[in-house]
Amino acid sequence: MSRKVVEVSGRRLSLSNLEKDLYPSYGFTKAHILEYYRRIAKFILPHLKDRALTLKRYPEGVEKDFFFEKRCPSHRPAWLKTAKIPRDNEEVMTVCLVNDLETLIWVENLASVELHVPLARAGSPETPDSMVFDLDPGDRANILDCAKVALILLELLSGLGLASYVKTSGKKGLHVYVPLNRKETTFEDTKKFSKAVAIIMQKNYPDLVTAKMAKEYRKGRVFINWSQNDSSKTMICVYSLRARERPVVSFPLGWKELEGLAGQGDPEKLLVIQSEAVRRAEKQGDLFREVLVKKQKLPHLGDR
Amino acid sequence: MKNYSESDRGNEMAVQGIWSGTISFSLVAIPVQLVKAVEPGRVSFRLLHSKDYSPLQRRMFCPEEDKEVPPEEIIRGYEIGPDKYILITDEELESVSPERSRTIEIVEFIDLKEVDPIYYDHPYYLVPSKGGEKAYRLLVEAMRRTNKAGLAKFVLGEREYLVAVKSTEGVLSLITLHYRNEILSDEDISPKEEKIDDEEKGRMKRSIKKMIADFNPEKYADGRRKKIVALLKKKVKEAAPVQAPEIEEEAAEGPADLIAALQESMRKVKKSR
Repeated sequence: MSRKVVEVSGRRLSLSNLEKDLYPSYGFTKAHILEYYRRIAKFILPHLKDRALTLKRYPEGVEKDFFFEKRCPSHRPAWLKTAKIPRDNEEVMTVCLVNDLETLIWVENLASVELHVPLARAGSPETPDSMVFDLDPGDRANILDCAKVALILLELLSGLGLASYVKTSGKKGLHVYVPLNRKETTFEDTKKFSKAVAIIMQKNYPDLVTAKMAKEYRKGRVFINWSQNDSSKTMICVYSLRARERPVVSFPLGWKELEGLAGQGDPEKLLVIQSEAVRRAEKQGDLFREVLVKKQKLPHLGDR
Repeated sequence: MKNYSESDRGNEMAVQGIWSGTISFSLVAIPVQLVKAVEPGRVSFRLLHSKDYSPLQRRMFCPEEDKEVPPEEIIRGYEIGPDKYILITDEELESVSPERSRTIEIVEFIDLKEVDPIYYDHPYYLVPSKGGEKAYRLLVEAMRRTNKAGLAKFVLGEREYLVAVKSTEGVLSLITLHYRNEILSDEDISPKEEKIDDEEKGRMKRSIKKMIADFNPEKYADGRRKKIVALLKKKVKEAAPVQAPEIEEEAAEGPADLIAALQESMRKVKKSR
């Protein structure tokens, strides 16, 4: 195994197998992955900060087996920041917190191509700081159908006084986020609210939308997965790479931009590849910044 | 593999691996997937509520409190005596569970004839993954010629199994084996020895000889299953099936206030489009 020792923010990191081609169909090595995350770090780190990271590791590349790792690997360096989060009954699990560049690089050296995080921070695991609508196209539907649904959601939510933000999943779908950032809002609230939204969407657009998980309902429709609003669930972090043939990124879009792209009718245009992600983020800044700071209260849920 | 894809329930089962990894010994490593080799032919039925044909669910119930118990209040206990339990957490169980293995490492080659079928637990097939076809074919052939099976240890799910890998009609099959301590003693089964005369021995031998045949599994079928399937086919033709009520997910849409506000907003959305 080839190794290379580098220094990141004063920490010595031993990087392994840098030449290993982890996206063999595209030609993108572990060194390329580390370089992508180094350059995108200032945009992705605020979204990873203080969240229990789930590593999705592809030691043999994105076309081979992967495994999820929720526990922070025990061979971690002593300086790495972790949190203990409760699990089921009085149990705790030690998780990695990716709060700085050195941790991000260490995690990526484990070939954790995809970075998944919960909607709540580790310190307050029952308090989501956003509500999400995970738009997942069924068979014979695609990301353009998701774009239609997202644009209706935007208007529907805005009618209730709620701002929302959209990103590509980096695979086939879109994710619509509603920032909350209030300690009073619980997963029970976000689940209740998002489910009601999904059901009314299904009722009004029965040929386009389903709120049901079952495959037979999803054919030709977009499944609004509201059940992601749960303390046990994770979402792919904005700016994370996805494991598919090409190094595509889960990337934030402006609503006007989405409307324009939806009109062009080419699903490929909704895929943002890593080099474009870096270029666009550096030019336009973080389109998802508001998701972390904007305070919004979910209306009509009683008096909380 | 023929039986696998052409079984009468074949359309329900796309070839989807239960596990994938490599099978290896000395310098050989063959990427493979583990798939089911048998599909029990039992016809299963759903339990319905006779009044409205709703499929019934099982719920966990506390007889002491006379109410349903939510998942977060359910823990494990090992019964050591009447009403006495040792509590075990998920974490404790996890700490003693073996790590998922990525290889089936053959440690010995044995003659499977030495293994009494009482040790056989469950059969699977091994399917070669991309790039492993040639080595797979070589191993199948070599095992067939030598008539030997590979013995390996292998973690599937939470358990570590002892398995035998053998060649079956051009493919590799894997049989999980019971451990020695799982085999119950046969000590008290064998009756006391009594004198048997040669005449009796001869008669028994001749009776067996008369009935010797080649093993031909096609000759046998589960008669009850056949009859149930025929009965179901007949009933489908005769009458329309009963319909379970649509699950009232939609009915529980959320707080009335929220529904009203969403409907109002939706009206505006539709108007503007």
